[in-house]
Amino acid sequence: MALPNQQTVEYPSFKLVIVGDGGTGKTTFVKRHLTGEFEKKYEPTIGVEVHPLDFFTNCGKIRFYCWDTAGQEKFGGLRDGYYIHGQCAIIMFDVTARLTYKNVPTWHRDLCRVCENIPIVLCGNKVDVKNRQVKAKQVTFHRKKNLQYYEISAKSNYNFEKPFLYLARKLAGDANLHFVESPALAPPEVHIDLAAQQQHEAELAAAASQPLPDDDDDAFE
Amino acid sequence: MASKEPITSPEKTRKPPVAEDEDTGAQVAPIVKLDEVAVSTGEENEDPMLDLKSKLYRFDKDGNQWKERGVGTVKLLKHHVTGKVRLVMRQSKTLKICANHLVLPTMTVQEHSGNDKSCLWRASDFADGELKDELFCIRFASVESKYILR
Repeated sequence: MALPNQQTVEYPSFKLVIVGDGGTGKTTFVKRHLTGEFEKKYEPTIGVEVHPLDFFTNCGKIRFYCWDTAGQEKFGGLRDGYYIHGQCAIIMFDVTARLTYKNVPTWHRDLCRVCENIPIVLCGNKVDVKNRQVKAKQVTFHRKKNLQYYEISAKSNYNFEKPFLYLARKLAGDANLHFVESPALAPPEVHIDLAAQQQHEAELAAAASQPLPDDDDDAFE
Repeated sequence: MASKEPITSPEKTRKPPVAEDEDTGAQVAPIVKLDEVAVSTGEENEDPMLDLKSKLYRFDKDGNQWKERGVGTVKLLKHHVTGKVRLVMRQSKTLKICANHLVLPTMTVQEHSGNDKSCLWRASDFADGELKDELFCIRFASVESKYILR
């Protein structure tokens, strides 16, 4: 569901509520999907930020309005309002911080008080970190409450598409739904004048000396 | 001073346990009915001249820093009729487009000074369906791959 001031789209869209303790990586996860970037800096979300996120499937384009909520209690406030008309949800915890898993039942209870019978994915984030405090075997909450569980890493992109794929399949009742290559439209011709070209080259040279954000991790898949 | 960890370190290649794709979710009623549609990649009239795994960055001018744009497959596609060449890169798994622009003779490709597997260039990118002036940097798995792009 879109906010009143947000453009509506002619293809199916869903309100996705993302909750979990502060610092578990909700905003970073959403940003990773929106722009590709991985934000290392922690800036707590205040209130809620709503981001439209589109996916292309074999059943056409779909949109999640991601309600990225504040995990920090002190920024909380109108939380029940954020849940209203939620059609699906992600509960995020951090596998390197035990307390964030301990608080999952509270987030789940708050969510279910407002949203009954919606598909919910539990995500254990930061599985790329060596010293985990919550091992995969210790994660049992999803079995008791019938949630889907995924181990994810917003940093390495491990399983990063799975929560959305799962929710899309449940919302459409189609276990075979899958992501497809979105149409790469022909880019229009552009003309650049000589003066602009020279300025561009200077910018390019300056950029060439700025380090890449992740030079240390050589391997990628 | 800490020495650089070798890239073959087992810690780096270690994967979290799998066996997690089992559906433990509740049976919930679907809220939409979606029918299969014909899908087009938009690349049907082109031949790939290059198809390589890589990681793409875009330069954030306001922050004066490189930001990740996506990991996936970069392709150079040549049109059957017009002969125009464009670069298209898609994010792996979600298959979304992270770069889509024409390759013009005026384009210059240069090496990144801190990373010999990377090179950068400027383009008017159409990935989001509107032209956007971008500085891109691409990193390949090996040094050799870089020369193919030139």
